[in-house]
Amino acid sequence: MSTSLYPLASLPQIEKTPSREDGIPDGLEEELRAYGCKLIHEAGILLKQNQVAVATAQILFQRFWFVTSMKQFGIGDIGMGALYLASKLEECPIRIRDLINIYDLLLQRKAHIRAQAMASRLASTSAHPRTEFKYTPMSYFGNTFYELKDALVVAEMQILKRLGFNLTVVLPYNTLVNYLRVLGLTSREDVCTKAWGYLNDALQTPVYALYSVPTIVCAAILLTTRHLGIGLPSAPENCWWELFDAEWEDLWNVCGYIMRLYRERTSEDHTRVMGMVAKKGVRQWLEEHRPAGGEGH
Amino acid sequence: MNYVQLEKLGEGTYATVFKGRSRTTNEIVALKEIHLDAEEGTPSTAIREISLMKELKHVNIVRLYDVIHTETKLILIFEYCERDLKRYMDVHGDHGALDPITVRSFMYQLLKGTAFCHENRVLHRDLKPQNLLINRKGELKLGDFGLARAFGVPVNTFSNEVVTLWYRAPDVLMGSRTYNTSIDVWSCGCIFAEMISGVPLFRGRDNQDQLLHIMRIIGTPDDRVLRKITSEGQTESTNPPKQYPRYPKIPFSQVLPKASPQAIDLLERLLQFDPSKRITAADALSHPYFTGSVPLGLPTPAPGSMAPPAYNYPHPHAHQQQQISQQQQQQAHAQAQAQAQAQAQAAYLQAQAGMGHYGMQYPQQYAAGPVQ
Ligand SMILES: Nc1ncnc2c1ncn2[C@@H]1O[C@H](COP(=O)(O)OP(=O)(O)OP(=O)(O)O)[C@@H](O)[C@H]1O
Ligand SMILES: [Mg+2]
Repeated sequence: MSTSLYPLASLPQIEKTPSREDGIPDGLEEELRAYGCKLIHEAGILLKQNQVAVATAQILFQRFWFVTSMKQFGIGDIGMGALYLASKLEECPIRIRDLINIYDLLLQRKAHIRAQAMASRLASTSAHPRTEFKYTPMSYFGNTFYELKDALVVAEMQILKRLGFNLTVVLPYNTLVNYLRVLGLTSREDVCTKAWGYLNDALQTPVYALYSVPTIVCAAILLTTRHLGIGLPSAPENCWWELFDAEWEDLWNVCGYIMRLYRERTSEDHTRVMGMVAKKGVRQWLEEHRPAGGEGH
Repeated sequence: MNYVQLEKLGEGTYATVFKGRSRTTNEIVALKEIHLDAEEGTPSTAIREISLMKELKHVNIVRLYDVIHTETKLILIFEYCERDLKRYMDVHGDHGALDPITVRSFMYQLLKGTAFCHENRVLHRDLKPQNLLINRKGELKLGDFGLARAFGVPVNTFSNEVVTLWYRAPDVLMGSRTYNTSIDVWSCGCIFAEMISGVPLFRGRDNQDQLLHIMRIIGTPDDRVLRKITSEGQTESTNPPKQYPRYPKIPFSQVLPKASPQAIDLLERLLQFDPSKRITAADALSHPYFTGSVPLGLPTPAPGSMAPPAYNYPHPHAHQQQQISQQQQQQAHAQAQAQAQAQAQAAYLQAQAGMGHYGMQYPQQYAAGPVQ
């Protein structure tokens, strides 16, 4: 199976991403990537955007962080730019104004949740009164709108430029259907739904920028069959994933990425990530976590 | 910028094309300037054109050398071609009609470039004479990939606002959104007929009129075909099925009396109403029109053997001068034609021999690519 149609990150890019180079730890980068993809997903739903465009946006978003640091661009802006770009690519364009309004709404809501969480943490002993979230639409003549619009146009251009216009994205769904057929599993509705779900969840991880579609699809099938207790031939001489040219180690890595999405997170984890949607938050975090005993660089 | 901007070559709907010269190598190139819109960001036409063309490397596809990205505009650096096919027909054609050798050469190269796109899962979707470029060597190259798109997985999200009306396939005109490579093949057929006769084959005013123009020549297909195609235009399903007048087919030999029987046979296969019946670009390349030993059905005129001009303006004083200048013009014209023919023949033979063929180069990883 050829992977040459769509670009994958190179080894040096994987070993040291630009964000890590800037001092953002591994785990935090992974959280921020996932969060950015969640925002794209939620915006896509609110905009009633076609799922192919949303998935394409998430994959472009993931690719971008192999060539750019989160200190330089915010995950919010790049997510917005990726969704705008993918909508053009998939011929279901959305209006800039709608996209900006939706992102503004989403971010205001997140900011509210974050403020609530922080407030309740401070006042942990007393019962803290919860305030309702109230959305204040922005004024079209105010600065916010124009600032967001500029940021969006710049984000789109930066994605194009830094990815060198390599925008081909191949989605895994057709491959999944084929593989399930080969394995004789198409009649099991639970298998199809679950594997499909894993493929969707995987869009929040970098795997589509790292592994070929067959490998990712095999990982989704592996997780599904393990979870549902379905046995497939796995003896060294005769294992099912080799049918699809996938390597066990790669498969296992992809599973790892997907499983980490379901890890328990504390409310501190949540608020930390929410505060880093813009590059300002990332820079502030880096300031506060500068390695002791040095100016850093 | 590394290029000196020279004269304007053409203007499209979203870009201006200039001739340019490299400061380092003196090479002549075409500079396509696209303004970035503060309201819409980067135009999707530019996005498509760059992302698809940078991968398509073939003698019959205009080569994209480089992309310069500035704050306000994008400049695409293309291989330079003398003129587009529309202008070529105006200049070298006889009332637009090209001689059989040139037609065969261009048709071969057009199909070759189209087949290469399709092999690499790209639909051009806007093939027309203005978007085909001819260089000094008589090579024809597909240009303007602004409406092109990659196909493969989910194909039915296409917009049906593609391909300039006159070259648009009937299935697209009927609202089909699930079309594939066959729409480019239809356009190739239209261009073929136009090169032979000098005028566009189907010249409709709007969508419906275009469809009627097509039916008036190739005949109204039977209801089964119409129903099949209509059912593919899902969005249109709310409307009641349209009734079409029943036109009989007019033989192409009557429409294009100059065309050889083999040319007619190929045209027939390219211009099938039912998209599933249309020949593929790759198969068309091995049609007897190209491979047959019978040259072209028509004797080729030797250079300079054109009939002397008729005197249309018997003006008493200007007579002599006019006669001379007319003769000169005629001679120049005949010379240009002969030269064009020879070039076309050479390009055809070269294309057939598969020379000057570049392999595909896919990117293996992200790189800043050609972008600066
Ligand atoms: N490489 C080239 N060499 C010479 N002339 C060119 C070249 N590319 C384009 N041109 C000229 O410029 C014209 C416009 O170019 P092109 O079709 O690429 O622009 P466009 O804006 O996409 O046009 P359209 O209106 O069809 O969308 C062409 O018809 C041709 O005459
Ligand atoms: Mg054009």
